[in-house]
Parts: sequence; C-alpha cells; structure tokens
Amino acid sequence: MALNLRQKQTECIIRMLNLNQPLKQSGTANEEVYKILIYDKFCQNILSPLIHVKDLRKHGVTLYFLIDKDRKTVRDVPAVYFVQPTQSNIHRIISDASEALYDTFHLNFSSSIPRPLLEDLASGTLKSGSVEKVSKVYDQYLEFVTLEDNLFSLAQQNTYVQLNDPKAVEKDIEAIIERVVNGLFCVLVTLGVVPVIRCPSGGGPAEMVASLLDQKLRDHLLSKNNMFAEGGGFMSSFQRPLLCIFDRNFELSVGIQHDFRYRPLVHDVLGLKLNRLNVQGEKGGMKSFELDSSDPFWSANSSLEFPEVAVEIETQLNKYKRDVEEVNKRTGGGSGAEFDGTDLIGNTKHLMNAVNSLPELTERKQVIDKHTNIATALLGQIKERSIDAFTKKESDMMMRGGIDRAELMAALKGKGTKMDKLRFAIMYLISTETINQSEVESVEAALNEAGADTSAFQYVKKIKSLNVSLAASANSASRSNIVDWAEKLYGQSISAVTAGVKNLLSSDQQLAVTRTVEALTEGKPNPEFDSYLLLDPRAPKPSSGGGSHVKGPFREAMVFMIGGGNYVEYGSLQELTQRQLTVKNVIYGATEILTGSELVEQLGLLGKKMGLGGSVAASSSSGH
Amino acid sequence: MQARHGHSSYRDRTDEFFGIVETLRRSIAPAPANNVPYGGGRREDPRSAAVMQSEFNRRASVIGLAIHQTSQKLSKLAQLAKRSSVFDDPTREIGELTAVIKQEISGLNTALIDLQAVRNSHNDERNISRDTTTHSATVVDDLKNRLMDTTKEFKDVLTLRTENMKIHENRRQRFTNNPSKESTNPFVRQRPLASKPAPSQPAPLPWANGSSSSSSQLVPRRQGEAESSPLLQQSQQQQQMVPLQDTYMESRAEALHNVESTIHELSNIFTQLATMVSQQGEIAIRIDQNMEDTLANVEGAQSQLARYLNSISSNRWLMIKIFFVLIAFLMVFLFFVA
Repeated sequence: MALNLRQKQTECIIRMLNLNQPLKQSGTANEEVYKILIYDKFCQNILSPLIHVKDLRKHGVTLYFLIDKDRKTVRDVPAVYFVQPTQSNIHRIISDASEALYDTFHLNFSSSIPRPLLEDLASGTLKSGSVEKVSKVYDQYLEFVTLEDNLFSLAQQNTYVQLNDPKAVEKDIEAIIERVVNGLFCVLVTLGVVPVIRCPSGGGPAEMVASLLDQKLRDHLLSKNNMFAEGGGFMSSFQRPLLCIFDRNFELSVGIQHDFRYRPLVHDVLGLKLNRLNVQGEKGGMKSFELDSSDPFWSANSSLEFPEVAVEIETQLNKYKRDVEEVNKRTGGGSGAEFDGTDLIGNTKHLMNAVNSLPELTERKQVIDKHTNIATALLGQIKERSIDAFTKKESDMMMRGGIDRAELMAALKGKGTKMDKLRFAIMYLISTETINQSEVESVEAALNEAGADTSAFQYVKKIKSLNVSLAASANSASRSNIVDWAEKLYGQSISAVTAGVKNLLSSDQQLAVTRTVEALTEGKPNPEFDSYLLLDPRAPKPSSGGGSHVKGPFREAMVFMIGGGNYVEYGSLQELTQRQLTVKNVIYGATEILTGSELVEQLGLLGKKMGLGGSVAASSSSGH
Repeated sequence: MQARHGHSSYRDRTDEFFGIVETLRRSIAPAPANNVPYGGGRREDPRSAAVMQSEFNRRASVIGLAIHQTSQKLSKLAQLAKRSSVFDDPTREIGELTAVIKQEISGLNTALIDLQAVRNSHNDERNISRDTTTHSATVVDDLKNRLMDTTKEFKDVLTLRTENMKIHENRRQRFTNNPSKESTNPFVRQRPLASKPAPSQPAPLPWANGSSSSSSQLVPRRQGEAESSPLLQQSQQQQQMVPLQDTYMESRAEALHNVESTIHELSNIFTQLATMVSQQGEIAIRIDQNMEDTLANVEGAQSQLARYLNSISSNRWLMIKIFFVLIAFLMVFLFFVA
C-alpha cells in the first residue's frame, strides 16, 4: 500500500524503454525490439541509481550514449531519447534527425516540454525534411533523482545560496521557486497522488513553493485529462499523503552537525554520491562501491551507529565462515558416516546443494568485503579527524544550549580538518542562545589560527544577531512549548519535569523537522503548529483551508526540504515510521543532498557575497 | 492501489507536435499541391517496417520470438514434470514435449551461428559504422544469453523429472516387494500406457535450415534405447506380474533413458554455447561508469599530447640549432673558401 517512489520511477523508466507500450505481466514488452538509448547528463543521473546495464539489456537496449557524444549511424534501429527539454538538446536532436542517424526517434522529455521548444523542434525537423523520423513525443515527468525507496533529490545545485543571496533579484528567486515546484510536481505525478500541503507560514521560500505548487496542482486538476487518477476518489481522499515543505533555515543545525550513524557518516566523510562511493583501496587504486537497497547489509544497518556497524560486520563475517565450513564438511570425502555409500543419489544431491549454495555464499562474501573496506576507510578518517569527539560535543551543545569554554577551545585546537572546526564553531553559534562577545572572538581567533575560512562563520553570526536566531529559535520555541505542556499536565515543579523531558528528547535525538512532521501527521490540535498553512489542491475554494477531513491523521507523509537535505534527517524520519503508529511511510526529498561541508561552503559563499555591508538585504531575504 | 495502477504518469505530445508541424508546413508552403498527406507514412506501418528491416534484424527478431515460444513450452513441460502422482503420469506428453523442445533448441543454436555469420559478412562487406557493429554484437550476445538461460532451465526441468521418476520407482519397488498386497495393488488397474512414446515429428522449423542433420540423428537413437530397456525387469519379484505391468515398467524405464540421454545431449549444447557466449562482466555496471573510464582516457590522452608537445618543441629547437650551424658553415664557406 505504501508509496514506493523508487519502484514507481523504475516502472516509468522501464515503460519508457519499451517505447511506452503496455507491458506484459512478466515485465517485458510484447514485441522484441532492439533499440538505442540516448540521454543527457541530468537524465543519466536519474537513470544510473535505478537501472543497471543488465536491466537495459533485458529491455532490448543495445547501446546507450550521452547525447553530446559523437555518434555514428545505426541503420534500421529505433532510438529512445531521454533528455531534459533544453534548447541545446533540441538542437542536437534536430541535427541527429537530419543526419538520419537512426530509424525512428522516440523523444521522451524529463519534464513537460514548453510549447516554444516544441515549435523549434517542429520547424527544425521540417526544414531538414526529417519530420517523419520523429515517431513519438512524450512528457515523462521524471525530473528527479530517486536514491532510495523513500528518498529523492531534485538535483538542483546551490539552491540555498541562490535563495538567501542578499543580491538576488525577485525574478531570480521566482525562477528558482518555479524550478523547485516543477520538480515536486514531477514527483507527485509519478506517485499519482495529490497531497495535502502544509508549511510554516511567514513568507519564506517554503510558503512560496507551497502556494505555487498548490496553484499548479489546481490548474492541472481542472484540465480534463489530468494525470491523477480521478476514479479512485473515495479511496484517495482517505489516503492522501501529507506534504510538509520546509526551508533549510527552519533547522540549519542538522545540515552542519557531525553524525555518527553509518549512512550519514558514509555520505559526509566518504562522499556518497548517487548511491556510489569511491574509496581509496589498500594498494592506492580507487575502488568503487554501490550502496542501495539491493545490498542487504546496507539496508539493514545503515541507520546504526558506526561502532555497532563494525560489530555487525564482524558477526556477518563469522557467520559466513561458519557456513563455508558447513558446506566443506558436508561435501568433503571424510564424512562417510553421514550417508551410507550406496545412497549415491543422496550424495550427489548434497554436492548439488553445495554447488547451488556457492553463488549465494560468494555474494555474501562480496558484501562483507565491501563493507569491511568502507568501514576501514571510515575508521581511518574518524581517527584522523576525531569525528567522534565532534559528534559528542555537538550533540551536548544542542542539548544543553551551550558548552564549557575550555571544551570548546580544546575542540577547536585539537585534531580535525579546518572544515570540521568551522562546522563545530557554527554549531556553537547556533546552539547558544545569547552570544558571549569575548567567547565568540576567541573562537574566531582559534579558527583563524587553524587557517579556516571564516566567512561562513561570519555569515551565521550576522544572521543570528539580526534575527533573534534561526535554528535555535525553533529549538527554544519547541522547548518552551514543552514547558507549557508540562505545566498543564503536572502543575508541579516545572524545572524538574522539563529537565526530564529535555533528556528524553536528546536521548533519541529528535530533530525539529521530525517532531513537526509527527505532530502534523497526527492531526491533533497543537498550538505550536496551528499557524502552519494548510493547502488542499482538491478543495473547491482556494481560500478554504479548514476542511475537517484533511486534518485527520495521515498514513503517508512526504517531507521536502528546500535548500539541501541530508541523510541525518532522512534517517530520523524513517525512524519515525517505525516508532509511531499513525504514519506508515515517510518520503523525504530535497533540492539536493548536501554533506555538512558542502552546506558550510554555501554559507561561506553567502558570507562572501554579503561582505559586511549588505546586512539589511540579508535579513530580509533570509527572513523566516 | 489497484485502481491507481492504470494511471499514466506521462503525456503523449505526439499529436501536438505533428499539429505544429502541420501548421508550420502550411505557413511555409501554402500551395496545397506539395502538401502531401503523410499521416500514414510517419506511423510505422508494421508491414512496411518489416520490409525495410535488414536481414539481420529480421533474423534476430525471429530468433527472439522462437526463444520466447520455446520458453513457453518449457514452462508447460515444467508443470507436467512437477506432477508427482504415481497414477497419472503424463509420460507420453513429457516425451513429446522434450523431443520438440530439444529440437527447437538445437535449431535455434544453429540459427544463432548463422546469424553470427551474417553479422560477420555484413561487417566485412560494407563500410558500417562502429556503432552498428557494437549494436549487432550486443544483439547476438543477448540472444545467446537468452538461449543459454532457456537451455539451463530445460536441463533443470529434466533433472527434476528424473528425480521424480526415481522416487516413483522406489515407491513402487517397496509396494511390489510385499506379495500380500499384490492382489490389491492399485497398479494393476493402471491405465494402459503406450509402450512407445512415439516421437512425433514436428514440422521442420523455419529457422532450422541447417540443423536437420543434428536433429534427425536424435530420433533413431531413441528407438534404439527402447530395445535395451527390458533389462530392468530382470528382478525376480516381478515375475508374477501381469503383462500390463510389464509394459508399464518398460515405458518407465524407457522414459528414464530418454531423459538421461537428453540431459547428456544438452550438456553438449551447453559446452558449445559456453564457448560461444562471451563472458559479459558488464552485468553490474552502471551507465555512468563508462563516463569515468572515458574521463580517465581523456586525461591519459591529454598527458600523452603534452608529452608529444614537449618532444616536438625540443625537436624544433634541435632543428633551429642545426639550421644555424649550417648557416654558419655556409658563411664560412662563402667568405673564406669562395
């Protein structure tokens, strides 16, 4: 029942590869057609985590090329194009068609191709007399990259910088919002659902995206042959997902802090990209690994803390060794006691079983080897940069809202790269509620001493001093709410209770986003989240937002983070589905998936752009 | 979910595209004379497309279709073979199907070899682009792999069948050992089985033009096996058996032999195929892996070019130096000697 984005997108791609013909039950097309696949860079990113060369072959793709590669004529073979609708791609297609590279052209655009481009295509092919070559033109609505079953990225880079740029013009911002909305729309079309949208109010990017998306969905639902199933209205009204849209500024700290769980570590430290990982091998060569749901160890253990993962690898290895021994014992000649010599059939059967179990064993061995390699590389980095210490101190800071000065300076002067220290310093800024001037200055001095680029630090400091605070305010606000709640419930020694609650919160590392999503999906009246905008594209009137049925508990939720998400939040949201009963499934998406250092780099870029003077503009654009 | 299954997340803009083409065409060439209606031409009419296809493509698709049909038959055979009931043993159907499938597989095998020959001859005769060569190579490889899979499946089914039959045999032996039960033995009222599986000769397959020699030698062998089967009924317990059961035994033994010989033959095909199928290590490759290789190659090429540039420039200096020396000599020659 649960929405599975990865599966849906794979289905769409397979259908596209089969020239959009209906599929048989076995998953292959009725007629065997050999064809050529042509894609551009963006669509390659879409394809590569989802589909392997083996699967391409299965669906009759013999050759696959990037569109801007120099290609040769292949006669009598249809070509499937899967590209973004851009000017350059259109030109390339026209030139391919006029040279008659392939027999027929099946054009698939990753998102809806605008009318002018379609006209360009028509006139271009008409001029070269190759209109007949174009067999089909499709809009595919697939312009997003699915990394895991419930994780997607729009692959739009530097959105955070562009949205918070003090010098950004209104038009630029609108263009970015438009792009984001377009991507989200593609996701919704692929899933085939119309969600109920909620977002923090207050005129931030989240609200802009939400209202524009609402508008787009409304317009689309008005048209006759829309792509959302109308027939199952009864069912879908109950099982519509809740789409929560946030801005990165909602909780900046998660993007910056260090984390000690396996998946975030692999992403942050080793640079997991499009589910692929390059690790320095022992002999110096780069080894490339793939980590996705086909790897059982990865899907089972990626949310564990790193030491537990190491233990788990060890146990898996031991289990593997035991199994190998078992097989050896059974087939080895020495153990005649187990079966009498006359029972030849039984003997060969054992042998056959052993042979059959070999591929499975080798596969397991490969998985173990892979994770041993990754863990070794990770451990090296952790030791060198003492990431464990950073993680611990940062979570302490967030929990207590401050840190001992000596500890702070020790961390800044200790091991770790410049970036680690910078991230730590920013975390310090975010976590403390009031800025202690002398302490900040000493932190800055320490950063300078370490040779770090302090512009990101300066930027956060400026923002913090301008607005009361961004992320910390969210934290403190929720904290004070818990205080209220506690007061009402117990009416006794508040401080003791809150201290307990705080510990509770920190112990399972609840993030603000997760807390909010949990509260929103439950649908109970909650003073903290009542101010959130509620947009229902299916509701009759644009202004109405108080339909009672859309407030009820939601089983499915989608969370979208504008300006860069990360695996920490993803993991936290997936944990929510296991812990909580109402929400069964949470899909997490972001404009791009960022590591801590990448986000800090973007902050630094902003700091540089702002210089020292542009403070007024910054406060208005990052206003929240 | 089921209701939503039918929904389509894409939009066909073909008509819009051709609408634009139509209006553009009208605006460019307003004279209706050369405005040829092309509606029928652009949609590939399956027949005209088939005519257009080259021989290679046609053959490849025929083979693909045949492999598909064979695997369908195979699944039917698997169903039959899985039946473990002693009383209703479809020996004859299995025998027939086995023969047909075996013939088809060997026919396909030769057809594939022919296809490869066609491909090679095409490569030689015409100046075909590299991409076309790769394309046809991949097609052939794909077909080979699929045939390989089918053969493997076939072998598995036959192994299963043999095992089942052995189990039956054992069970039967156990019952017939007990003479007291003999009178009430349910086997006595076995339906009369055909003593010979009567290998039906299917119509010669269209693609198996070269394979008739290999397939025809299968049939006589099977008949030869049938004569050797009475060996099995030598056991003394069976001497009191009714003649009906003798024929039953005979048929079982024969079927066993059939299956065994088929497996043997299959293993031959296997080895043949194994030599043909190029090891495709690309199975787990992602499409962006090539990119990285390309990048590495480009970098390598760049460094090579840089080295070449270095050597060239040093050569150039050498030439200039030699030139100067020559000039100097010439000067000396002109001024002092002449």
